Amino acid sequence: MDAALKRRLQDRFGARLLGPIHQRHDQTEIRIGPGDVPDVLRALHDEPGFGFILLADLAGVDTGDVMQVVYHVWSETSSDWLRIIADGLSREDPRVPSITFLWQGAEWMEREAYDMFGITFEGNRDLRRIYMPPDYQSFPLRKDFFLADDAARSPGAGVRPMEQTHAPVAGRAATMIRKTRA
Amino acid sequence: MTATAPHVHPPQEVPSDDPRVQLDEAIGVFESIPPYPPRTERESEFYTLGDGEMFINVGPQHPSTHGVLRIVLKIDGEVVVDLDPVLGYLHRGVEKLCENADYHHTISYLDPLEYISSLYCEWPGVLAFEKLLDVEVPRRAEYLRVLSTELNRILSHSLFMGWMALDLGGLTPILWSMIERDEIAEMLSALTGQRLLFNYLRIGGVNGDLNHEFLSRLGDWMSRATTHLDNNLGLLNENEIFVRRMRGLGTMDKETAFRMGLTGPNLRATGVPLDFRRAHPYSVFPELEFDIPTRDEGDCLARYLVRIDEIKQSLRIIDQCLHNMPDGPIMAKVPRLLRPRPGRAYAAVEGPRGQYAAYVVSDGTDQPFRMRIHDPSFVHLQSVGLLMPGHLIADAMAVMASLDPIMGGVDK
Repeated sequence: MDAALKRRLQDRFGARLLGPIHQRHDQTEIRIGPGDVPDVLRALHDEPGFGFILLADLAGVDTGDVMQVVYHVWSETSSDWLRIIADGLSREDPRVPSITFLWQGAEWMEREAYDMFGITFEGNRDLRRIYMPPDYQSFPLRKDFFLADDAARSPGAGVRPMEQTHAPVAGRAATMIRKTRA
Repeated sequence: MTATAPHVHPPQEVPSDDPRVQLDEAIGVFESIPPYPPRTERESEFYTLGDGEMFINVGPQHPSTHGVLRIVLKIDGEVVVDLDPVLGYLHRGVEKLCENADYHHTISYLDPLEYISSLYCEWPGVLAFEKLLDVEVPRRAEYLRVLSTELNRILSHSLFMGWMALDLGGLTPILWSMIERDEIAEMLSALTGQRLLFNYLRIGGVNGDLNHEFLSRLGDWMSRATTHLDNNLGLLNENEIFVRRMRGLGTMDKETAFRMGLTGPNLRATGVPLDFRRAHPYSVFPELEFDIPTRDEGDCLARYLVRIDEIKQSLRIIDQCLHNMPDGPIMAKVPRLLRPRPGRAYAAVEGPRGQYAAYVVSDGTDQPFRMRIHDPSFVHLQSVGLLMPGHLIADAMAVMASLDPIMGGVDK
């Protein structure tokens, strides 16, 4: 655990953080709103005190209530992995600014998160499905996607525009969804 | 019936000399242009042909795609102008499967991700679970993990040498490296019980201890590994065609490499000595001595040579593992049914291709709530979009081979 990093993060981004900074093992975790993603990540990337130059991972998470986008970054100034959670994206229409202006290599990872969760990354120049076929309609890693059920829903023909594919699956009881408060 | 008109032959089609007229017709049996309207600006830009350009499909079944990958090349003559990789032919939904399996079961889903370096796919998942559970792994188990994974690294790199040469048109090196690969696979099968998908790591330790067959095979192989390696190198490094085609091909600089998210040998070939075994130590690597080979050129030859140097470092590590291997248990006391407290954990290891990582969210049940698998092949494959344009088709395939993507990991 890197206590110095925690202090620096608190001083720099204090007002923007949603909740306290968590540290466990070799990980430091901050939570921010989706609108703050470009500014915070740019500061972490550019400012020499942080120098998080390597985007280690970009993941979408569906907690059952909200969507999250989780970034892991690495810097030689710290012995910790820094985890940035963009929290509180709505499940109906999750939107977050793209970070391809900092890391071009995030493009495919954002496409994957779009494909699996339906998260729209605003500013990604090539946001289309990457694994699933183009006529596919659901988002497989969402918690309201059940394995045996939803996989058969793809009609196998025709393409729906991106806006329409955001519609939640009708008739799914909200209580059936596995949720976490993470 | 009226008098039939005399049958008139339609005027003969005169074949046109203009090449564009012929390009308007169907090119082949594979439809490279998608049969639906473009979804993004980039897609419509790519699927619009300029003057004298044409599309060509490479894959999904093609010897130089290292698995089932389709790349739509936009070519002008024989020069690649632009390309659009189409993934998903091998997508199995491993992350979803892991979310529906219990923690122990997950390991066998992680194995087939990158089927030629399976131990490295297991490791980050297992490490992340151990962080969630606060499990202390016995030291002998850590040494066994390092020993087996470094063997797996050599296996993967020696196959890379063969494939690299195969994509440049040489057949012999793949046969030679298969010999090397088979010896290590037999050795690891004596240790783990399986030849391809080892399924060896467990939460809190490893599956089996050292045994006589493994040690005798290992000793036998170690005594001539360096000689074998040098023989293989003589075949490639002294081959003028091989070296001159690779030098200066697909060059990438440091800044671009970080921007594209490269890790592992592909990043170290641009002169950055970033190795997570040193930069973010895990397991027993702080106790082991090894160097981090780098090259400054950032071209295909550099990426190839970095991997060769890594094989030598791996041999050093294996040697130290065998000498320092402590006695003791190989498994921590871990219950059959795991219910970690709600929390999040991220773990990454340095594999033969770069950073293998896993991000696990636990909700207190016996199944991971979210299991994110980060695979270096997936990240590295997208930089072919930067490296290929401007090269001939044959060289473009060599560029892709030098990044060493494995489609099992790309498609998850």
